[in-house]
Amino acid sequence: MDYQSLANANTWSAIAPEIALGLLALGLLVLEIVLPRAHHRLIPRAALVGQLALLAGLLFTISRDAGFHGASFGGLLVHSGIGDAFRVFFLLTSTLVTWMGIGALERQTLPRVEFFHIVLVVTGAMMLLVQSHHFVMLFVALETVTVGFYILVSYFRSSTSLEAGLKYLILGALSSAMLTFGIVLLYGVAGNKALPGASANALGFDALHTFLTLNAGNTVAIIGMILVLCGVAFKVGAVPFQIWIPDVYQGASTPITAFLAVGSKAAGFGVLLNLVTQVFPVGDSVLRHGLVFVAGATILFGNLAALTQRNTKRLMGLSGVSHAGYLLLGVTAATYPAAKWASGAVVFYLFVYMAASMAVFGVLSHLAKTDDAGLETDEFVDLGKRSPLLGGVLAVGLGSLAGIPPLAGFIGKVLLFIAAFQAGLYGLLGVAIAGVILSIYYYFGWIKMALFEFTRVVPREPGALELEIRAMPLGGRVTLAVLGLATLVLGFFQGPVSQWLNFG
Amino acid sequence: MSALPLSTLLPVIATISLNHYIAVAGMLFVIGFIGVLLRQNTLVIYMSLELMLNAATLAAVAFSRYNGTMDGNVFVFFIITVAAAEVAVGLAIIVALFRKRHTVQVEELGTLKN
Repeated sequence: MDYQSLANANTWSAIAPEIALGLLALGLLVLEIVLPRAHHRLIPRAALVGQLALLAGLLFTISRDAGFHGASFGGLLVHSGIGDAFRVFFLLTSTLVTWMGIGALERQTLPRVEFFHIVLVVTGAMMLLVQSHHFVMLFVALETVTVGFYILVSYFRSSTSLEAGLKYLILGALSSAMLTFGIVLLYGVAGNKALPGASANALGFDALHTFLTLNAGNTVAIIGMILVLCGVAFKVGAVPFQIWIPDVYQGASTPITAFLAVGSKAAGFGVLLNLVTQVFPVGDSVLRHGLVFVAGATILFGNLAALTQRNTKRLMGLSGVSHAGYLLLGVTAATYPAAKWASGAVVFYLFVYMAASMAVFGVLSHLAKTDDAGLETDEFVDLGKRSPLLGGVLAVGLGSLAGIPPLAGFIGKVLLFIAAFQAGLYGLLGVAIAGVILSIYYYFGWIKMALFEFTRVVPREPGALELEIRAMPLGGRVTLAVLGLATLVLGFFQGPVSQWLNFG
Repeated sequence: MSALPLSTLLPVIATISLNHYIAVAGMLFVIGFIGVLLRQNTLVIYMSLELMLNAATLAAVAFSRYNGTMDGNVFVFFIITVAAAEVAVGLAIIVALFRKRHTVQVEELGTLKN
């Protein structure tokens, strides 16, 4: 291919949302220089408004079916319906993180604008990541996300925040190194002209898929695939790469914990879905057995470790590990031809998980103390009585995470389990159901602490463990109510959403 | 000792096969991995991580030469760029943490645990 035809493949309009995000991020920095210091409080709000406008534009484009689909930039990116769904997902996530960040940063004496700048840059990189169709693109986008998160995790510069940042840095860099080595091995073996199906474009997903299908038993290729999957497994927090999760979630500030729990995990699953359904021929190979085993171990580990957890941020982290396990179940099912629609179920579950998690993290972020080290579940006593909105939204969010009908989390889990059933993963299905039952224990322990008075064994003297509840601005109350309502409504009525997410 | 002239070195280099390069890269990768797992000093861990990335770089260049495509060489530029960004952020975090705690030993950084 000559350079002229390569240049013609640069369809800039195809990545308009990502470019707009990048420009918005740069615009924030410009505003900080241009605006007088007294107006700097407006900059985060400008970020919020910009993201909402972009979200509206994106939804409008999707509803008119006017977006660009197909390959762009010489095959570096491939745009499809699932990519659009992930774009909306990441934009919603970053909007909610920005909203939480405004509240959290008001209690700190820290530079503000860079926080929102990095959130936007990371969001744009996540969008490119799930649409990448070439390993160089995937690597660069993934590293942009990861390096951005190093900064965000340590942003609050407290002793715990920096410790969490260091732990995330070391384990993140370790997983990046494994991913890189895996990519290089795949490149080396798929470009080897002595093997059938060797390609000059060995880093592109299509050529690689052809090669890997023709050389199913090649040892170097299998090692490469496993190393790449290990790098991605770190992102989603699958066993045995979940060790960083509790510490980093606890040390990071609550908005960033939410961003990690929802955004980073979803980005990992977007890549994983791409890799196992389009690039790696999972077949009946060691990879499939590995996926099944890791999914089961992740579900069990997350739920068992969360059982005894009292710190709410660690609890959300460990229960998030179990949700990664359910999602892995869906991803594994999607590799079977009988359950191809499982990709849509995974994305639906991600949306449901976002609504519920963001509701819980929104409440946590609002109640957080200045050090933001995470509250104990005992401190939520009487929350429902003292603030019905916060208590109600917390209960709806946790109930949805636990998968209680009629909340959305129930439907999400049912769809994943049906997919697993159709794929014939009966053993894994049993493990997942056992995991759901275990999870009811710790989620409901927290709910009853917040809502029900009669469960208190020892009468509490007034003032002990009293949590300070700040007044919440109207926008925050509306956002929390919308998150709670979305969780309720999606439980009853999935019509247009399930139609949109039907990727076949 | 005087340096060997290039004319005597080239035949020697030509006898180094792809397998030698990949073996060295694999060893570097494993040494780095073990270093990350076993060392206690954060800076040494960081050096081990760089060693793993360099292993990938070496393998990429060797494969690129052997396969006769430029993609591997181009990928190396991206690896180096990303590694530089990672080091810039990583060292900043380590320095900031050292100012707070006066230590970079992993065993003394255990505030966050169950």
